[in-house]
Amino acid sequence: MEDGQLSFDNLSIIVTAIIIGTLARIWLLKEDYRQYPSYPNGYLIHVVTGFVAAALGAVAIPALISKNFVAVTFLTLALQQFRDVRKMEKESLNDLEETEYTYRGTAYVDGIAKTFEARNYIAFITALSVSLTITVMPFSFWIDIAIGILVGMLILLFLKNFTKGKRIGDIAQVEAGKIEVKDSSLFVDGIFVSNLLGTDNASKLVQDEGLAVVISPNEDHYRINLDNFGQRQAALFEATRALGNKRYHFTRKDYEKGRVVIALVPIKQDIDALIEVVKKCPLLESAKKSHRVMKTNWRGE
Amino acid sequence: MGRESTMQPNYTILAYVTMKKGRILTSSCLTLLAESKNTAKQMTVDIAKALKADVVQLTNGDYMIIRI
Repeated sequence: MEDGQLSFDNLSIIVTAIIIGTLARIWLLKEDYRQYPSYPNGYLIHVVTGFVAAALGAVAIPALISKNFVAVTFLTLALQQFRDVRKMEKESLNDLEETEYTYRGTAYVDGIAKTFEARNYIAFITALSVSLTITVMPFSFWIDIAIGILVGMLILLFLKNFTKGKRIGDIAQVEAGKIEVKDSSLFVDGIFVSNLLGTDNASKLVQDEGLAVVISPNEDHYRINLDNFGQRQAALFEATRALGNKRYHFTRKDYEKGRVVIALVPIKQDIDALIEVVKKCPLLESAKKSHRVMKTNWRGE
Repeated sequence: MGRESTMQPNYTILAYVTMKKGRILTSSCLTLLAESKNTAKQMTVDIAKALKADVVQLTNGDYMIIRI
């Protein structure tokens, strides 16, 4: 940085780091389609915020090297920006709560918002590591760039696996449940679920078109997670979202064996899809209490 | 969807349909007396449809129309 002009080397470092950081955000964004409300606009918003996050990470090292220590204080801006991303996401999802088939629930909304915030940190850290690596490498310019990109990708892979959460299918068995309507009460595999079926129409509809799954924890202490109201609400939300909801949706826990029932009258009659979507429902961070479940799987399996 | 006892109850009783006058003591909701079982059922369905609500049939035969 001579005479206030950015040197070619610095420019290359910054541009490379921004590209890798932004690509990191785009890569992580692809996994969000299940949770994301509006694809094109949502994609654009998050790619742009990811780009800003990557830019902040990319310029930090060149700024330090040019002894521009004041410029480094803009990192606080990064933190503020990421917090705003979380806030924006939370507000957006909360605004949609009334229009969905069922509520996501505050625990699920909080988890999604945190994930979006964390993904901006990933873009930031990836860009920062690319920038740092290229700067400290002693080889020729293009080799340094190549190593920087490689290191960035490794860091990204590590962070992706580090932040990857577990799913209901990892701690429990999810199987189809047998629906029975006795008088005006709904039972699934013998577990009482609801007595809201007070009319003949309701009984007939649930009996003919209702689908249900029973979640059985693999170990007794996993009940702590599965019994969590927010967790069950999240599973129900994913079920209604995937299959639609013609009428009625219930969750109920069985105190005796710790089983959890999810029952609904879906638009799309596909029990396999229902099982799959419940299995893939993320375990909420706020519901995690067991150390075993909290343990991060570094390989991301 | 049923909520846990520890959670804030999120339901409203909109109407109660009974066939026994003695069961109507006091109520903040609409309480109706039906002449027969069929009338009670029909009234319940009509009200539930109009209010887009759910129906619970109590074991004593009365109906409660609630919204969750």
